[in-house]
Amino acid sequence: MEVKFQTIEGKSVQFYLVLLVFALLILPGAFSTYLMYYQGLHLSGMTNRIPWGLQIILAVFYIGLSAGSLVISSLYGIFGKIEYKPFARIAVYLATLLLIGALLSILTDLGRLDRLSMSFSYFNFLSMLSINPFLYNMYILICIVYLWAMLKEKDRFVKIMALIAVIWAILVHSGTGAIFGFVPRELYQSALLPPSFISAALSSGTALMILVILALFRFTERPLDHRLVVRLGRLLAVFIFVVIYFIFVENAYRLYMPESREAARFFLFDPVNAAIFWGGLITIGSIIPAVVLLNPRTGGSIPWIIFSAVLVVFGVLCERYLIVIPGLAHPTDLLPGMEIADSVIDEGIVYYSASIHEVFQALAVVGMIGFLFVLGLRLLKLLPTEAKIYE
Amino acid sequence: MKLNQVLGNRTIAIVVAVSALIILFPLGYSVVGVAFSPPRPFLEKPDEKHENCVRDTSYMRFHHMDLLKELREEAVREGKGGEISVNSCRECHTSRKQFCNQCHNAVNLYVDCFGCHYYPLEDER
Amino acid sequence: MDRRDFVKAGGVLLAGTTCAYGLPLLSAYSLSTPSPEGSSGKRKWGMVIDVRNCSEGCNACSEACHKEHNITSRGEKDWDIHLIRRVTVKRKYPAGAAAIAEPLSVPLLCNHCDDPPCVQACPVQATFKRDDGIVLVDHHRCIGCRYCMIACPYNARHFNFKENEEWANKNYTRSTHGVPQSCNFCAARIRKWRKRVEEDPEVLKREPEPVPACVEACEKQALASGKKKALTFGNLNDPDSDVSKLIADNPARGIREDLGTKPKVFYIGL
Repeated sequence: MEVKFQTIEGKSVQFYLVLLVFALLILPGAFSTYLMYYQGLHLSGMTNRIPWGLQIILAVFYIGLSAGSLVISSLYGIFGKIEYKPFARIAVYLATLLLIGALLSILTDLGRLDRLSMSFSYFNFLSMLSINPFLYNMYILICIVYLWAMLKEKDRFVKIMALIAVIWAILVHSGTGAIFGFVPRELYQSALLPPSFISAALSSGTALMILVILALFRFTERPLDHRLVVRLGRLLAVFIFVVIYFIFVENAYRLYMPESREAARFFLFDPVNAAIFWGGLITIGSIIPAVVLLNPRTGGSIPWIIFSAVLVVFGVLCERYLIVIPGLAHPTDLLPGMEIADSVIDEGIVYYSASIHEVFQALAVVGMIGFLFVLGLRLLKLLPTEAKIYE
Repeated sequence: MKLNQVLGNRTIAIVVAVSALIILFPLGYSVVGVAFSPPRPFLEKPDEKHENCVRDTSYMRFHHMDLLKELREEAVREGKGGEISVNSCRECHTSRKQFCNQCHNAVNLYVDCFGCHYYPLEDER
Repeated sequence: MDRRDFVKAGGVLLAGTTCAYGLPLLSAYSLSTPSPEGSSGKRKWGMVIDVRNCSEGCNACSEACHKEHNITSRGEKDWDIHLIRRVTVKRKYPAGAAAIAEPLSVPLLCNHCDDPPCVQACPVQATFKRDDGIVLVDHHRCIGCRYCMIACPYNARHFNFKENEEWANKNYTRSTHGVPQSCNFCAARIRKWRKRVEEDPEVLKREPEPVPACVEACEKQALASGKKKALTFGNLNDPDSDVSKLIADNPARGIREDLGTKPKVFYIGL
């Protein structure tokens, strides 16, 4: 019943090619960050009405993915399911890298990056943006210690760290949801954003782990019992329903309350938002994958599971967009009963589109995460020799 | 690899030695440079609108940033004071090139203040 | 897992929860910083805007503010900074009244709320509130995260997306790119006025209150066109000040007071 872990050989051409591709992805983004640091953020697509854009969307997306990855490792660490032990180390390593990537996304988005030390010297107990970096940094440390405990095979310590990591992950994700939920804007303020955020994190993280596991075991030609992936697929279906539940309750509440009804209608039926919400999140991101995963014919087939996992990750990315942008695109009703006919700025509904520099920065973070992940597979004993269910 | 193996391995020793050389080279260069030719910034005598500077020269040379920070907290966060500020240095020391930049360029220490605060490089009279 | 591990883990959970969430629950926690008057808050600066006296097509306050703060106006709706801006407002419903109502001209600016969401949001306390009521951005500390802009329900804070170009007012700073700006009730003018008053109390007879750039421009414009001025600035704690009299004698209210922010800019005629 011993699960043996090893590094990958890392001598093949494909290995170096993958590393090179990820490293090359970093270069345009690094240059864009340099440009924006010296010339200002007008090089991005952000405006005075929409001050947060693609970088923040992706930051919260990565934070969510990080939690989900951790859930897979907790299946072994907390619930003691030995059949998931082979995936535990990859899960924790990926979780750490994703959160570092999230922090990098946020950092490259700051207007005055040279003042970064201020966020460590000064603290505001009431600001979610002050509490959260503290939570994120501790989370990275906890994950590193957790990974170290697994690498050194200290089983008792692993179980303790698993519990601490999961509890801290709940804090991290509630906190990230609270960044948006605890702010007085009609489409932001919501007590449901923290739990809704966690649920979307779980679903996207599980989907990502399914894809990563299948890709890794295929490319390194290790035996993988497909029943494990099928079980993860069923878990993913459960998470999808939790996400839908929270989305439904939140939007129903906003539609019921007269004060937020107009904003809720904008959120659900404005052309751009409708396409992303009904098309991206509900249909592509939730209904189709749920149906595929629960249907006995398709739920047991690996290609269909890959298909659903990709759709779920895309759906949660849409959901992160919907958390950040519509709340800013829709203006606060400054003078209820009146409309602002003319102004020097855009007082109505505005739209956001990312500039090429933001896209480059996003790719750079992806490149960094990928590069470090593949390098870690070579340097650390993360991959198991095989993953099968022991009867 | 075990510690003995690491210490004994020739490749690792060479890599470490070369990295140390590269990393410590700028430090060594500046130490040697300072030992043989220290920068001697020359501050022109100011236009004396006031009898003395706000503090004596040796204090200002070493602690002007502490003084400015203290005054800044008072002026911005408490709304008091403001007679002495970055602007008031300009009343006597009219050219930034002859004043701040002399020492700051010599030791290559970036000053963030003048992105926002007005202090012309040349005397504007 | 045995009981000791459970207790250890539970202790970590308790400590973590307290650290992360217990502190915000201390609702009495105040983020005020000391003011010249001390915490007794002798002066509380505020503004009264009489919308009936503001005319469409006049942008004197906005232009004076831009000149004072060295803000470059490029005519770009997305990135231009407006610490004070004038909007034209029309009634939306009921349909009958909306068809015949005259449009109103309303200056909008930072309301210097007594319970400011932006101060609560700033992770480094670069946006802070003084006891004399002014909400300021300390540009020495700001990291440019723009959370204050997200938190402000009034859209009163604007960001320096580009470098400002002109430096018309050499007695004032010109912000670099990467930091937000919001109206600070011309805190520099207030500081200089306080110093003048401290040195010579006779000054109070000529200048009973400090005058921000926008109010000064509105007064000039009113004199020139023979109308009454729209903006009045003063000490809300003093029953004899102009602002207090205006608020007491007219139906004055702040914008969206229902949000609980306690704005200190009061509008008459809205």
